[in-house]
Amino acid sequence: MTSTDQQTFLSVRDLKVHFSTEDGVVKAVDGLSFDLAKGKTLGIVGESGSGKSVTNLTILGLHDRDRTAIDGEILLDGKDLLTSTERELERLRGNKMSMIFQDALASLSPYHTIGTQIGETYRKHTGASKKEARARAIEMLRRVGIPQPDMRVDDYPHQFSGGMRQRAMIAMALVCDPELLIADEPTTALDVTVQAQIMDLLKDLQQEFGTAIIFITHDLGVIADIADDVLVMYGGRCVERGTKEEVLRTPQHPYTLGLLSSMPSLEGPVDVPLNPIPGSPPSLLNPPSGCRFHPRCTFTEKVAGGLCSTEQPLLDLIDGRGSACHLSLEQRAEFFADVAASRHN
Amino acid sequence: MSFSRRNFLIATGVAAAGTTVLSACGGSGGGGGSSKDNVPSVSGAKTMNIPVGSKSDSTGPAPEVPGAVKGGTIYSLDQFDMDHLDPAQIYVSTEGAITRPILRGLTGYKIDNKGGATLVGDVATDAGTMKDGGKTWSFTIKDGIKWEDGSELSMDDVRHTFERLFASWVTEGPRYVQQWMVGGDKYKGPYEGKSLDSIEIDGKTITFRLTEARADFNYTLAMPGYNLVSKKKDTKQKYDKRPFALGPYKISDRQIGKSLTYVRNEHWDPKTDSIRNAYPDKFVFQFGFESVASTDRYIADRGNDQYTMSIFNEVAPERTAQVLTNAKLKKRVLTQVDTVTYYWPINTTRIKDVKVRQAINWAWPHQQLQTIRGGKATSELASTILSPVTPGYQHFDLYGVEKKPGGDPAKAKALLKEAGKVGQKVVIAYQQSDNAVKQAVAIKNALEAAGFKVVNKQVDKSTFYTQIGKIDNGYDLFAAGWSPDWPNGYSVFYPCWSGKNIGDGRSNYAQLNDPSVNKAIDQASTIADTDQANKAWGAIDRQIMELAPVVPDYHSIRNWMYGSKVGNVIYDAGNTCVALCKLYAKK
Amino acid sequence: MPRFLVRRVLGALVILLIISAVTFWLFYAVPRDPATMSCGKNCTPDMLAKIRHNLGIDHPIPVQYWDWLKGIFVGRDYSGFGHCNAPCLGYSFANNQPVLGTILDRLPLTLSLAFGSAVVFLIFGIGTGMMAAVKQGKWQDKVASSASLVASSMQIYFVGYLAMYLLVAKLNILDNPSYTPLTENPVSWASGLLLPWLVLSLIWTANYTRMTRSQLVETLSEDYVRTARAKGLSSRNVFFRFAWRGAMGPIVTIFGIDLATLIGGAIITESVFSLQGVGRLALSSVNRSDLPMLLGVTVLSAGAIVFFNIIVDAVYALIDPRIRLS
Repeated sequence: MTSTDQQTFLSVRDLKVHFSTEDGVVKAVDGLSFDLAKGKTLGIVGESGSGKSVTNLTILGLHDRDRTAIDGEILLDGKDLLTSTERELERLRGNKMSMIFQDALASLSPYHTIGTQIGETYRKHTGASKKEARARAIEMLRRVGIPQPDMRVDDYPHQFSGGMRQRAMIAMALVCDPELLIADEPTTALDVTVQAQIMDLLKDLQQEFGTAIIFITHDLGVIADIADDVLVMYGGRCVERGTKEEVLRTPQHPYTLGLLSSMPSLEGPVDVPLNPIPGSPPSLLNPPSGCRFHPRCTFTEKVAGGLCSTEQPLLDLIDGRGSACHLSLEQRAEFFADVAASRHN
Repeated sequence: MSFSRRNFLIATGVAAAGTTVLSACGGSGGGGGSSKDNVPSVSGAKTMNIPVGSKSDSTGPAPEVPGAVKGGTIYSLDQFDMDHLDPAQIYVSTEGAITRPILRGLTGYKIDNKGGATLVGDVATDAGTMKDGGKTWSFTIKDGIKWEDGSELSMDDVRHTFERLFASWVTEGPRYVQQWMVGGDKYKGPYEGKSLDSIEIDGKTITFRLTEARADFNYTLAMPGYNLVSKKKDTKQKYDKRPFALGPYKISDRQIGKSLTYVRNEHWDPKTDSIRNAYPDKFVFQFGFESVASTDRYIADRGNDQYTMSIFNEVAPERTAQVLTNAKLKKRVLTQVDTVTYYWPINTTRIKDVKVRQAINWAWPHQQLQTIRGGKATSELASTILSPVTPGYQHFDLYGVEKKPGGDPAKAKALLKEAGKVGQKVVIAYQQSDNAVKQAVAIKNALEAAGFKVVNKQVDKSTFYTQIGKIDNGYDLFAAGWSPDWPNGYSVFYPCWSGKNIGDGRSNYAQLNDPSVNKAIDQASTIADTDQANKAWGAIDRQIMELAPVVPDYHSIRNWMYGSKVGNVIYDAGNTCVALCKLYAKK
Repeated sequence: MPRFLVRRVLGALVILLIISAVTFWLFYAVPRDPATMSCGKNCTPDMLAKIRHNLGIDHPIPVQYWDWLKGIFVGRDYSGFGHCNAPCLGYSFANNQPVLGTILDRLPLTLSLAFGSAVVFLIFGIGTGMMAAVKQGKWQDKVASSASLVASSMQIYFVGYLAMYLLVAKLNILDNPSYTPLTENPVSWASGLLLPWLVLSLIWTANYTRMTRSQLVETLSEDYVRTARAKGLSSRNVFFRFAWRGAMGPIVTIFGIDLATLIGGAIITESVFSLQGVGRLALSSVNRSDLPMLLGVTVLSAGAIVFFNIIVDAVYALIDPRIRLS
């Protein structure tokens, strides 16, 4: 692996995704930027409705074009996906970039066999024959750890168990050796053992092919396991970015802090109460003024002049590390340490 | 849900004993109850007299219809196929009419160009010779009468025709001859090898010996039920599907329920037939058309429909106003008052007081009932038992039908008071149908206004006639109707008003057993002179009405429409149907 | 699949047996005496008894039913009228024909009406529905939706007469509906039935437009459709192989029910267009109290409906492996 591998493979620049609905414009993604290099994993964290899934569907071009207004740039290997035609995107999807969806049962067609569904992606992009595609499907199933793949290849999704379906889904996403893999909460519905197996599988595959992975989750534990970099989204925006260690160890944004506090720590004592973030995710139709997190933030009054409710904090990045918050770095170091202390005590 | 005409008839009257079904040529659809007073009153009422013709009247060929041309095809649009084509099973006049071009009887009705009818010999040389005051009848068969296969009509065929009427499977045709023949009560039909002795054959002459004097026996024999059957070709029950032709046409194709096609019978000799003209080359009867559909096609008058007429389907009630108010369309309508009279017999064993029965007559809401039926276009109010088109009809109006068609409650009440029967209870039986219910209510209102107490009882349609035909039926008043089987008073008064016909399943529904009426009927039956007989029957009508055992309600008016290229559409008064053998296809 | 079919066919036979028994009992137990209807003037009790005997209705109902049932397998003798070969569904005395022959004679028309119009309304309905679903929310969708609302509220006895009046009587564009067997002359078969097909289709198309649209709108938003797109499949491929495949199941099911309705509704359709199919046969049998015929029509129609349902189930199973394999 040379330094060229460290070059940016996917670059999202100031992405805005707005849907027009009967009630008004929903700003699902509102100015998001990030980069991803090959062989690296970016974990995107956020509650549902934070814009993480929309971002990724937009990368693949799976959004409803008639009702979506998109602004910004998505460069995949230097090519702007937003200005590509549907035909061009079709050639990329499933081939150079592919996606693993959350609910494998709903996301796999109930009407076609697993083998067909895996094979048709392969045929579409390689022009392989049916026979070759079938062989490839069996190979992929074997690789993702499905026992007796040559028999199971003709099964329908409903004949598979949940974990196997997810594996099949992964096999399908990887059948053309994609350079970018987007995994949208691929393990949410699965039990912990299976979850771990699948995470290992993804890691192995990444090592083997040098795939760039975007891993979407709301589970920081999973992030800790797989990601290199972390991007925290809130209300359609990035509120904090950094390496996995930076974000998890020394969070800079009250929301990240809140997420961390709401999950049990493996290191601390077991009897420490969890502190879920009070309030509910913001409405994207009519987002709060100023910092979108301010109605739920416990530090609002610490910022002078009520700035939190009037002015949007900017994402302040230095070397890919930073957050969007009105608190000064000193204030954060002080307040957050207290919280961390309370958790560790 | 549209009811069939057949069912409508059953609903309106006269079914069990079959009457209207049997003789009426269709039936008016009966309207929807809305007032159709804007429809002009039409009436084809014309008192008929159907005399017995002479030998020369019976000699063919039939007089030419002025302007008629040979050739072409005449079509029909009708709702139902015929249930029967075997004459032994034919009672319904539509079946009689449709078989007229293919079948022939000993006697028949010759229709002149003005619509007048005469009884003549059909295959017989004349209308028969009567002896013993009507107990013996002889008919001589013409020469050169041939079946469709070219074989000559034999005397065996003629004998066989009448003997097979006694077979056990013959259940639907008329039963007059069977009842009157000497030895007929014990005879079981010819299929067991026995013949009926009261039929005598001598050369070309057949003689019938009867148990009673029947001066009108030759009229009876003109019923289509007595048309001739080939002995050789008799397939018994199966004959119904395809009878063997003796008339100018034969069946070339039959799709039961769909169509029936006649083509010329080359062996028919017009010189032997004074009744049939046979202008068209072909008849194609088409079945399965509701009256609305057929009426619409007549109105449109396109293509083959121009050569089409209906035997059964009348102008649909929904289209009556449109057709009868449009002079152009009305020109293509054959309007005819039917021989049927719809009436309400009063059970004279329950309501014995003549004044009470007269009071019911005075109070009767004729007009309201007509409105419920659909107005003047389809019925004429009745004040007599005989229809205006039945020979013998005399016009009289004992109970003020014409002056006060809506009823005269004051007069009725006065009569009731006189009889000391104010508050008299009247139990009315009526059938389940929309119109019947409405009519029952109108009658109840009218009678109660006159001081009666009325109880309405609904009776199931299918058993209605069985119920009212019982001696102890428990009803005072019920709808019925009758149309004569051959055109004279006997065929009305004997079955329905003679004391001899009281009994379960018999048709004297009023159970009138008046000695003077009985006597008058018996006497009139034996009068050989048609004119005198007719006078006697007219007097009997009045005599019965004075006893008021019945409320005559209405005579139905039939309106048949036809295409613009059908020539000489006239009514056959003898068979109470359109005269198929007089039609021609215009060039 | 074979086991699935065998199970369904056996179930169907049981249903038919029950239907025939109930129908038989209903028809013969109601206080309606077909004998009185064919008994002439001066109908005597003796005469009635003769007619009852000739009609074969002088036996107890269970005996009559047993004879009828037996006739289906071994045929039956009707003295004087001849032998009715197995499968004998009875003999219509009013029609003077074995019941089955008459029904089979009328059946092609009824089936031509039903299937002919089905072909037309399926093509138009599904086509329009697909367009509306694809153009969801656009003017094409709105026009299709409102037009189908209007059309589906129409009734055959209104549109039928109106169409005949306008197209046949006034404008002379089409001929009066008529029936020529398909095997005899395909062109006159189609041209004779064109008007009923169009009228029926006008009414039925709307249902299928709405159903197709709503089904497709639903399946188009299914996750597996999105997955198919994420795999890079072309939108045409995604639409037909995934979205439409998912929408088809419910449409096939409804079509099975509608086919039964179409055949059941033949009574009205055939009356309106003056066509002589099984519907009219049933109607005239009611009017004439032709019980054997009515029984035959009822049992055979029930059989047809049950048969179509099996076909529909089989087709559904072919479409959806979840049903086939469960």
